[in-house]
Amino acid sequence: MIELREVSKTVMSGSEPLTILHPMSLEIPHGRFVAIVGPSGSGKSTLLGLIAGLDAPSSGEVLIDGVDITRLDEDALARLRGEKIGFVFQFFHLIPSLTAYENVAVPMEIAGAADARTRAEMLLEEVSLTGRAHHYPSQLSGGEQQRVALARALANDPSIVLADEPTGNLDSANGRHIMELLRKVHGSRGTTVVLVTHDAELAAMADARLVLRDGRVVENTLEHTLGLRPIDRLGVVPGGVEGRQGHGEQPEGPLVLSSSKKEPTR
Amino acid sequence: MMFVLRMAVRETRSSWRRLLFFFICIAIGVAAIVALRSVIQSVRGVFGAEAKSLIAADVLIGTSRDWTAEARQTIERRLSDAGGAERTETIETPTMVRPADRSRPVAKMAELRAVQKAFPLYGRVDLQGGQPYTHALVEGHGALVRPELLTSIGVSVGDQIAIGQATFTIRGLVTKEPGRGMGEFSLGPRVIIDYDDLSSTGLLGFGSRARRMILVKMPEERVESLVLTLREDFKEEFINTRSYRSTEDQVGRDFDRAENYLSLVGLIIVILGGIAVSSVTRVFILQKIRSIAVLKCVGARSGQIIAVYVLQVMTLGLAGSLLGVGMAQGAIAAIPLALGSSTSILAQAHYGVTWSAAVQGVGIGVLVSLLFSVVPLLQVRFIKPSLLLRDEATRRRSDWTSIGVLVAVSLALVTLTAWQASSLKVGVVVCSGFAGLAVILHFAGRGLITLVAPLASSRSFPLRHAVLHLSRPGNQTRVILLAVGLGAFFIVGVRSLQASLLSEFSIQVAADAPDMFLLDIQRGQADGMRAFLGGRPHGAGEFQLIPVLRARVVGVSGRETTLEGVDEVRQKGASLGREFTITYRDHLEANERVVEGAFWSGPSPDAEVSIERVIAERSRIHVGDTMRFDILGRSISPRVTSIRDVEWREARNGGFVFVFRPGALDQAPQTSVAPLKGPASPAERARFQHDLVERFPNVSVIDFHEVLETIRDVMSKVTLAITVVGGLVLLSGVLILIGAVAMTKFQRVYEAAVFKTLGANTRTISRMLLFEYGVLGSLAGLIGSLGAIVLTWGVSRYALEIPWRVFAGEHIAGVVLTAVLVASIGVASSLDVLRSKPLATLRAE
Repeated sequence: MIELREVSKTVMSGSEPLTILHPMSLEIPHGRFVAIVGPSGSGKSTLLGLIAGLDAPSSGEVLIDGVDITRLDEDALARLRGEKIGFVFQFFHLIPSLTAYENVAVPMEIAGAADARTRAEMLLEEVSLTGRAHHYPSQLSGGEQQRVALARALANDPSIVLADEPTGNLDSANGRHIMELLRKVHGSRGTTVVLVTHDAELAAMADARLVLRDGRVVENTLEHTLGLRPIDRLGVVPGGVEGRQGHGEQPEGPLVLSSSKKEPTR
Repeated sequence: MMFVLRMAVRETRSSWRRLLFFFICIAIGVAAIVALRSVIQSVRGVFGAEAKSLIAADVLIGTSRDWTAEARQTIERRLSDAGGAERTETIETPTMVRPADRSRPVAKMAELRAVQKAFPLYGRVDLQGGQPYTHALVEGHGALVRPELLTSIGVSVGDQIAIGQATFTIRGLVTKEPGRGMGEFSLGPRVIIDYDDLSSTGLLGFGSRARRMILVKMPEERVESLVLTLREDFKEEFINTRSYRSTEDQVGRDFDRAENYLSLVGLIIVILGGIAVSSVTRVFILQKIRSIAVLKCVGARSGQIIAVYVLQVMTLGLAGSLLGVGMAQGAIAAIPLALGSSTSILAQAHYGVTWSAAVQGVGIGVLVSLLFSVVPLLQVRFIKPSLLLRDEATRRRSDWTSIGVLVAVSLALVTLTAWQASSLKVGVVVCSGFAGLAVILHFAGRGLITLVAPLASSRSFPLRHAVLHLSRPGNQTRVILLAVGLGAFFIVGVRSLQASLLSEFSIQVAADAPDMFLLDIQRGQADGMRAFLGGRPHGAGEFQLIPVLRARVVGVSGRETTLEGVDEVRQKGASLGREFTITYRDHLEANERVVEGAFWSGPSPDAEVSIERVIAERSRIHVGDTMRFDILGRSISPRVTSIRDVEWREARNGGFVFVFRPGALDQAPQTSVAPLKGPASPAERARFQHDLVERFPNVSVIDFHEVLETIRDVMSKVTLAITVVGGLVLLSGVLILIGAVAMTKFQRVYEAAVFKTLGANTRTISRMLLFEYGVLGSLAGLIGSLGAIVLTWGVSRYALEIPWRVFAGEHIAGVVLTAVLVASIGVASSLDVLRSKPLATLRAE
């Protein structure tokens, strides 16, 4: 559960304060696929950054599963991100000095997971990149890099995946591929997905929509869709979420993206 | 922990090439430390093993006067008390040696040593060609000489040489003898003769500078007690007693000092490497900013990320240090080759890297890498993962942790230096000196960059951009200026000092001033000498006979200082304890000026003395005080009537600390010295010396031209040594330059690509690079040269007390060569920038 209470963000633009997000409150229940849409500069990415604890709000509280992350220090935030949040960026942000496999393994290694290697290989297989595991980011295409980034986001089996314009830097075919993967993730694992996009077609794939303009929420379909299970809307059967096993068929092929649900050892 | 290890390995794998040069700097410094320490330890081992042969005895009792009957009795008694001591006597004196064949008009100052049959008690005399030494070789007017004497006076083994009034046959060549230290100052080559033949030379007459020694071999356990007893017995006399242990201790201390100070040179290079590591870490972190943000985004804590980079730096530091040990091993392996067939004590050492030196070197390399990288690595804490969402600048910040770490690092560096120098004071001085120099070079660099800043609006496109590049973000300008500037400073500084000193000596010798000094002219020879020199033989010039006596201060009773007896003078007399050469006259020399009291006119039977200002101040002796002198056993107590300032540089006619009023000393036993302008040509000088010694065999001649040659020789060796050190520093600077180019290459390749798409051709870009590095090299050369000017000024004015001169040639050459070096290396290491295709680069970006 993601909860924002009267959260705002103001930065200094030269010597003048500039409000990027006006105070807003909202709740994103567990297992939802929410698209945040709006024109450039409307505060979409800032909102996503606040949810991930990448940035601190100027006022208000951000709660992840009931924990107010604005009270956490940098190290605690890093630990929380490692455990609960996966992030996919528009510009991929892979570490250039690491291979695809290593990029995927890093979050698990940080968390001290014992099966990092197996799981990284499995995740790469699930994004159809087994053959490219030992290539460096500079040797991969944009679509491949974003798939590596998605596999990395899923490394610690987070309950929340935040994606900041994940298709913004890709051609339409690769963009579609990434969206399919995100849908599968959401569908098969019941992961909460928050997607920032300004593409209405992509936003339509989500089960709820949050429209921002000039730092204010101008439309919020979360309330209307409340109670509607994401799987019903997307028509995808959850694969690995506890308590949802057996509700329908498993998707075939590499797009399984099942959850291992193994507790990382620390 | 596994994450830290794995990431460190991965990071090292991807970036070691870029960081390589900085760690080669560490390697060079470590190599210098390890090699110097190992060599000194090896040589010291030889000295330790041969401590007794250093003085050729267990105990050495020496005096510069005749043994008195009482002294001999005391020694006899003490030796028999100590039981069963074996002993032998030697006498050493400087004298002139000439070929007995009068058709060869040449004479040379030599150091004569007359030995008895039992010599040496320890060690052995080595002769050229493996001929074994026996006393029979010198018996019956035989002589063993150093090989260099043969060439200097044109004789060979089997020939006869004249020493004083006697003739000796050369029966062998000495390559090594016990009791003659390494690098000890000598007036001339060694000549060994039989003790019993010395009297026939007539050199032991009055006023001779012979040093008589009794060498004793005795049971180990009684050595120290004998030394202490004899010192007590002779505390009021001019007899010294020392054991091989005190010599060993002294040599040990000298070695310690040499080892510690020389290692500081290596440490300075390591620290220079450390500064480069610090600078490169800062740039490295700037380049890694996104990767660090990503790591934080996926859950890594700042501490973990810092640990990754610390581990990486330490791994490279360790690799660099091990490389340094390898380099030291290589350098040391070459020593036996360099020494060739030399039979000196240096050739007896078994050279190799010692464990202690290797461990110290590696420890220092790793520690310095760590210390210098910690502060820039702390910036990792301020990198925010939010920069992945929007481009935001991460500014350099300081907080209390950074300041605390900086203080801790500084203290650690002082401790490290103090440990290397084995002195906290030296540690603090060297660190502050280095920090001061770094700050000065830093500001000089900044000042010069500001000075060339107007060129940024030059009409030349390449020059404009070259200047702009010097202050671009993440530039390495200051660290290159520091490192290359420091190297240039060392080299230009030492070369200027050498030129300055040599020209000073040349002026002194070349001027129409005395350039020869005759010693030991006996009273009875004075008239003969006047007649001889008055005839201007071989074109010799003006001369002057100055009476001299050798005296020791044995007491002072004055307002501030009261010293009773030799022992007190030795202990508290602030350099009054040595033997002085004194004179008497009724006038001041041109280089003297009375600063207190009044100089006498005319003779007086009452003893009066005039003292040189510095020693008067040091010993707190004033006008009106009374001093007591022992002049060859006779006591004289003059009143101090004046204090003189002596310009020692101008002391062509000999400078004297104590000048007496004529009258009291006129009849005392004395000799004369004669400064004179010798003949001009070397052949005439040789003939003059020969004729002089032929007529006055006991008289010694010091030829300033030969002294100048010796000084020139010693100085060129010292200069070479310091130039090698400066070269190493410069090499580190060059490596830092190459490393800096490698570090910032990505940025340059991108910029070049943009310039190329905007129409710049390869020629323009090469000119841009050439200007950039040319300006950088000129600035570094200028910094070094300015530093050298300040250094030569300080050293000339305060240490050497010679006029300060600026050698424009050295400085111009320094600046030009540094500029050319930096420009060529800068451009050569940027070839990738010129070759890269713009489209590929821009796409990759």
